[in-house]
Amino acid sequence: MTFKREPQVFGASITEVEFGTEGASVVFGGANTLPLYNFDAQAKHRALVGIEISDKGPDRSLPELSAFYSGAESLSDIASRACTAPGADFVSLVLESADPNGDNATSEDAAALAKEVAVALAAGGKPVVIQGTGNVDKDQELIPKVAEALQGMNVLLLSAKEENYKGIAVAAVTAYGQKIGAESSVDINLAKQLNVLIAQMGIKPGSYVMNLGAAAAGYGFEYISSTIERVKLAALSQNDDALQMPSITSVAEDAWAVKEAVVSEDDFPEWGPREERGIEMEISTAAAALAAGTDAVILRHPASVKTIADMVAALA
Amino acid sequence: MALKGIDIFKLTPKTNCKDCGQPTCMAFAMKVAQGTVQIEKCPHMSAEALDALGEATAPPMKSFRIGARDEEYALGGETVLFRHDKTFVSKPLFAISTAPDAADTTIAHACKIDYERIGERMCVELIYLEYSGDKAAFAEAAKKVSAAGRTLVLATTDADAAKEALAATSDGKPLLNGANPSNHETFAALALEYGVALGVTADNLDALYDTVREVEKAGVKDIVLDVGAISVKDAFANAVQIRRAALKSGDHSFGYPSIVNVSALAPGDARMQTALASVFILKYGSIIVMDGMSYAQALPLYGLRQNIFTDPQKPMTVEVGIYPINGADENSLCALTVDFALTYFIVSGEIERAGVPVNLLIPDAGGYSVLTAWAAGKLSAGSIAKFIKEEDIESKIKNRNLLIPGKVAVLKGELEESLPGWKIVVAPNEAVSLVKFLKEFKAA
Amino acid sequence: MDKFIIIGERIHCISPVIREALANRDPEPLLARGKEQLDSGATYLDLNIGPAERDGEDIMKWGVKLLQENLDNVPLALDTANRKAIEAGISVYDRTKGKPIVNSADAGDRLDYIDLAAANDAIAIALCSKQGVPRDNDERMQYCQEMLEHAMELGMEPSDLWFDPLTLVIKGMQEKQVEYLQFIRQLSDMGLNSTAGLSNASNGMPKEVRPIVDSVLTAMAIECGLTSAILNPNDKRLMGTIKTAEIIMNRSLYADSYLDI
Repeated sequence: MTFKREPQVFGASITEVEFGTEGASVVFGGANTLPLYNFDAQAKHRALVGIEISDKGPDRSLPELSAFYSGAESLSDIASRACTAPGADFVSLVLESADPNGDNATSEDAAALAKEVAVALAAGGKPVVIQGTGNVDKDQELIPKVAEALQGMNVLLLSAKEENYKGIAVAAVTAYGQKIGAESSVDINLAKQLNVLIAQMGIKPGSYVMNLGAAAAGYGFEYISSTIERVKLAALSQNDDALQMPSITSVAEDAWAVKEAVVSEDDFPEWGPREERGIEMEISTAAAALAAGTDAVILRHPASVKTIADMVAALA
Repeated sequence: MALKGIDIFKLTPKTNCKDCGQPTCMAFAMKVAQGTVQIEKCPHMSAEALDALGEATAPPMKSFRIGARDEEYALGGETVLFRHDKTFVSKPLFAISTAPDAADTTIAHACKIDYERIGERMCVELIYLEYSGDKAAFAEAAKKVSAAGRTLVLATTDADAAKEALAATSDGKPLLNGANPSNHETFAALALEYGVALGVTADNLDALYDTVREVEKAGVKDIVLDVGAISVKDAFANAVQIRRAALKSGDHSFGYPSIVNVSALAPGDARMQTALASVFILKYGSIIVMDGMSYAQALPLYGLRQNIFTDPQKPMTVEVGIYPINGADENSLCALTVDFALTYFIVSGEIERAGVPVNLLIPDAGGYSVLTAWAAGKLSAGSIAKFIKEEDIESKIKNRNLLIPGKVAVLKGELEESLPGWKIVVAPNEAVSLVKFLKEFKAA
Repeated sequence: MDKFIIIGERIHCISPVIREALANRDPEPLLARGKEQLDSGATYLDLNIGPAERDGEDIMKWGVKLLQENLDNVPLALDTANRKAIEAGISVYDRTKGKPIVNSADAGDRLDYIDLAAANDAIAIALCSKQGVPRDNDERMQYCQEMLEHAMELGMEPSDLWFDPLTLVIKGMQEKQVEYLQFIRQLSDMGLNSTAGLSNASNGMPKEVRPIVDSVLTAMAIECGLTSAILNPNDKRLMGTIKTAEIIMNRSLYADSYLDI
């Protein structure tokens, strides 16, 4: 007697989204099964793994990270170095300097930095994701400026929120042909609503992705995994086309901000070196987000990028 | 699994004889499905049909325990594939694998991880002892593990080795992991003789399925399914397909907990093992075997497990009390927030980042977030004053600055009335702004 | 729980426009009504060509090809008393978007429509009646069982029979409505699929009350477990009701703009 397999292939699929320029582009989405369920049907594309850099440079107090970026001083050097991280499908630039709660650099200056990085990345053969400041008002001004500066480079701009999606969508997608991420921070109804609103502006599927929120393992991650799972199940099993965009999860910021990745070894000697704690926190969180069904993750440490990329390859 | 009327109808004689008192077999089947009529009311049901019904109404996944005394752990009993449908019930157990001659070192290593997080003990529950050809050494190491207060998994396909180790340790209800298509008869007999759960493995799901059915026939009730270590892809596919067959298709022969040997899937690669263990926490690993467990691995893995296996209806809460942060003492200022674990973690994390010594005060706020607690009457001037009194905070802390969450700024006036001598300070609305706020804060 | 399936009813020979278009093989009216219904949320389109005793086979083939070729292989319910016309329609039917529906079988003279569906791997709408209106739910259940057994003997999956409880007009049979809803619940408890021509209930009522009667009955039937219905997808109130019911039944994720999509 043999075991009766019942492959779960849906009559619906996730929309494909491509970003980057010719020769340096990636595609995600496209599956008609739950993510990583290649035994049900082989997915067209693997989940993507991105490496995050900040316009303020890497944390050089971490020995392994510092060694990876050693000799790379200018932002474009740092970007070029990030391109060489094994397993990285794209590079994600955080425009941290423009944060009004920080250095508050002007949008024009930040956009110029973004341009510098994008040029370096194009040379390095990697597509570009740009993360804003997270500040609604600043991003509303900043992201259109970045979209304009990077015209023709087909970059993915994170993130448009409920408060500023209109301006960002019009400028980034309609005017300059970029891709955008709709950010909804663990609110599944808002995730759908934002997609509906963006679609109603005439933005076509394939031009935007979902950024459903993030949390580190142990810090309310169940909200993240359940949101991702419910969105994927609704997209596929209910054929809900307002949820069929691929999802991207930025793991880096949350993973490196929790206590486990912040406190020093002096204060917690039994916990061991801080860098390894941050790496493992990124790895665990990213692996769990992928298991829940996200289509792309953004990580900061090249060691995390490599492990997660290897895992995605092993499951493909 | 609830049986639909149509499934019962298929088993009826379909003669509409009315002997059951219902007008048609279909009406009868429907009433049975609703539970308003007993299946016995039909005198014409065949024995096979009754058996099939019995099986169909059994729980979809078996639940049992391994280990004994303080080290007894539940496995299985899941009813859903996704935690938003219903709470996952049996959290995955972590095991560290070891050869018999390394048992002492492994036990010492495993016992280093033992801490509490939000009321839950976090430790390496199991030691996965792998047979390496020496029966006496295997049994000896098994005894050491039992003595160390860790539950055993005996990993061997050698019946004699298994017997010797079981004879020495079966009191501790270890898991015997080693039945396969060629040895299942003797292993089933051993599991029954010593009253232990039996792990079954095979090269593919078909062979595993057949072997489980043989072991079931032999009378073994507590079975663990080993998803194998052929490849990461294969192990993941097996874990998902086994659980889906049990919970979605109601296939009882796969309705058992699983064991995933991550240490064999990524030998020597601790980071990859963390990645895979994280995947298997979400997707259907019941026992996860690792090479080792450092704090760097344990902190995210146990945190993730705790998150995924919480009841979606019941928020995680931290204990009521005073939490000194950054070396705070009786002269450090006080800040108050709610007992909802997520809020606590965010607020305490930001205070830590600020580097300013703060006594974080946590009253009983019903496990809600700040605004919800306030709206529900769980965080009021009265409840805060009562907490300050009951916890005797005024004698424990001399500083009289109390920071309250910006979202309940409205409580300031009332609090100043109920807590004479205190300076009530409204902190920012969002925790992220705390770092800047605390650094610039000048106490009164 | 699967989504509620809407079968658009507006390509029906009772409409003079459609009748004329069918007679003259004029594509435009059929395509226009087909598109309108799909845009408003129909999954299936009902193609009712009437009795069509003489040239039914030709008309059905023409209609099936016309609608599927122009409307992205829309799945269809083939609706006529002419059995041969249904067979002809299925012979040119494209299954990419779903099996054809045979509309409809009953437990009496039209029992052999189930044979037709079984032979062609189609879905059959199975009207729970023999002649006229069933006396009570026991009688409905009796017919339901007869058809189900017959289909299973022919090797059909029970899910390919969509049982129609037979919607009764409220003006005249008001006292039968609760029992009708109870029968839908019984079908649902059995795990069977169902469908209904819900607007029959408001037949003979003034134009202005029909929409609310149709909407409320539809909402109540959905709660009882009805899995599909033949209706007018261009009735905005009715579609809003169905979308809302889908939200409340947790089969569609809520978003503030859910009525617009």
